[in-house]
Amino acid sequence: MIRFIKWKTKIEKQSSHVVILLEYDHIDSIRLKLSYFIFRNMTIETFFPYLDTKFSGYEDVSIIDENADRYIWFYLAPIAENNVIVEKVHYYTDLVHIIAERIQPGKMLIAFTMKDMMTIQSITSDSSVADAVNKYNASLYKLASEHKNIRVIDFAHFLDNYTPDNRIDWRYYFIAQIGFNPRLAAEFRDWFTLQIQAIELKRKKCLVLDLDNTLWGGILGEDGIEGVSLGGDYPGKAFLLFQHQILEISKQGVILAVNSKNNLEDVLQMWKEHPDIILKEEHFASVRINWNNKTDNLLKIAQELNIGLDSMVFLDDNPTERELVKKYLPEVIVPDFPEHPYILPVFFRNIIEKYFVIYALTDEDTTKTEQYKSNALRANMQHSFPNIKDYIRNLQIVLTIAEVNNLTLSRSAQMTQKTNQFNLTTHRYMEMEIKQFIDKKDWVYGLRVKDKFGDYGLTGLIIIKIDGQIAYIDSLLLSCRILGKEIEFAFIKHILSKIKKAGLSKVIAFYEKTAKNRQVENFYDKNGFKVIENSDDHKSYELLLDEIIEFTVSDVYKLEDL
Amino acid sequence: MREKIKVILKNILELDEVPEDISQEKCIEWDSIHHLQIIFQLESDFNVSFEPEDIIKMISLNEIENILNKF
Repeated sequence: MIRFIKWKTKIEKQSSHVVILLEYDHIDSIRLKLSYFIFRNMTIETFFPYLDTKFSGYEDVSIIDENADRYIWFYLAPIAENNVIVEKVHYYTDLVHIIAERIQPGKMLIAFTMKDMMTIQSITSDSSVADAVNKYNASLYKLASEHKNIRVIDFAHFLDNYTPDNRIDWRYYFIAQIGFNPRLAAEFRDWFTLQIQAIELKRKKCLVLDLDNTLWGGILGEDGIEGVSLGGDYPGKAFLLFQHQILEISKQGVILAVNSKNNLEDVLQMWKEHPDIILKEEHFASVRINWNNKTDNLLKIAQELNIGLDSMVFLDDNPTERELVKKYLPEVIVPDFPEHPYILPVFFRNIIEKYFVIYALTDEDTTKTEQYKSNALRANMQHSFPNIKDYIRNLQIVLTIAEVNNLTLSRSAQMTQKTNQFNLTTHRYMEMEIKQFIDKKDWVYGLRVKDKFGDYGLTGLIIIKIDGQIAYIDSLLLSCRILGKEIEFAFIKHILSKIKKAGLSKVIAFYEKTAKNRQVENFYDKNGFKVIENSDDHKSYELLLDEIIEFTVSDVYKLEDL
Repeated sequence: MREKIKVILKNILELDEVPEDISQEKCIEWDSIHHLQIIFQLESDFNVSFEPEDIIKMISLNEIENILNKF
């Protein structure tokens, strides 16, 4: 749902000239309007506290929130040995392709580029990680060139502003898998807001320039063409560079205009005759050189160019003029102008980043994309999956199911304490209590998950109380680290087949609702259980084993039962 | 200091009131993400840097106060 900024226009007589005052209720689009679903591989929630967001599981592409207005693809470079990073980054390239194909084409997907966070590199010629990351980034740009709804924003460029040691706070990486420094959150938010504005084309269209002491040093009417500073030594050099930079952005589509108190003839002569001048008459789409009020001139420029006042940025060295414009035309952006010409390059870079960044594939980008295209294509051919099942198969997942013993007791108890989302009953147990289950000959099985990228360790647990012919599933939980690969179905099927083999006739299971376990409210339903009792926050199920001949576990997993 | 901590908890957990015995266990809003936000805010407001071992322990108002007292 898109709400546009509402404009109310009222015209007031202000001394001799008419000033149009615009009032608007500003609706900050990214704060209020849109909901986002963010695909991620690390903990990044804390960087988006102001958005209406939901997050995927880690590396999870199996669930796409259909209700989101927009999607974000934000994968950080994995932290591992070089060869694993390379493999994983290739794998992420495949995942983003799956998502690109699966989201509704009418919804926008904003993909973040990646930057390597920590390559340990003693051999300077080994560029395998850098190559993999480049390929990944290139394939994002390629996707964007093929899909109208995909945009790339250059997160790697954001991180370039910080030294490697400031990009990540290892304390938070180790305790919470936060992939970049939480201290950068505020700056990240500002950066991200600007990127979104660029995507939404909220950029300004027109740069309106004063002349004296803005485009050159000195006052033309007093100092003459020979007397003003432009080119040559400082400060003329600084103004010359400034003109070059302004010309550059005009080539990129920003409209230039002049609003100056001067004699028109003097300026025309300056444009024709000054040996170093860069910005001349032909570069300006609208020229107001007179002794009129600058607000009047701005209104005329807006009319002439048929653009809104809110798409103009006005640069003027004179604070009084700036105040006047700010007061009467608050929609026009009027930045403070630097007092020293040597500050101009930094000043102008900020202006560009704030107001004139456009989201578009430039020719240069396109060549860059072309260059990378062949590489990306190669990468894609090695790893391309038409569907989820194939991508899971490619992970070479090994599930190991084993009874919990003294060595795994503490981790098992810890899992019952910590797991919130994929947890059917959320029964919290101490080590002692788990030990009691085992001593009573109840079943306590742990699930260990490995894939080609490494070992996730003990990440699943099921506790089954046995009473005669009936098995009661007291607890079933999986760590969120391994979700999204349909492992939960393989795990429960395998356990059910064990129960059947043990000769039991019936399984009773429970779902107990908490604030965090909504995602599993229908888990047993999906596995063929029948609801026998249903209240607001509690469901009981049964499954009659005699009715089922065999449980088959999907062959995409390798299963080890110890 | 305790009052300052309570204000942080109140704002981040969006509570009307912060009970003296508040802890992660007793407060449903205090999930792991909010926990991190609380820690970031404490670090920045008190200008300190916690040890990971302490961060894991700081799951009640009393514990937070204890650990801040070490600085």
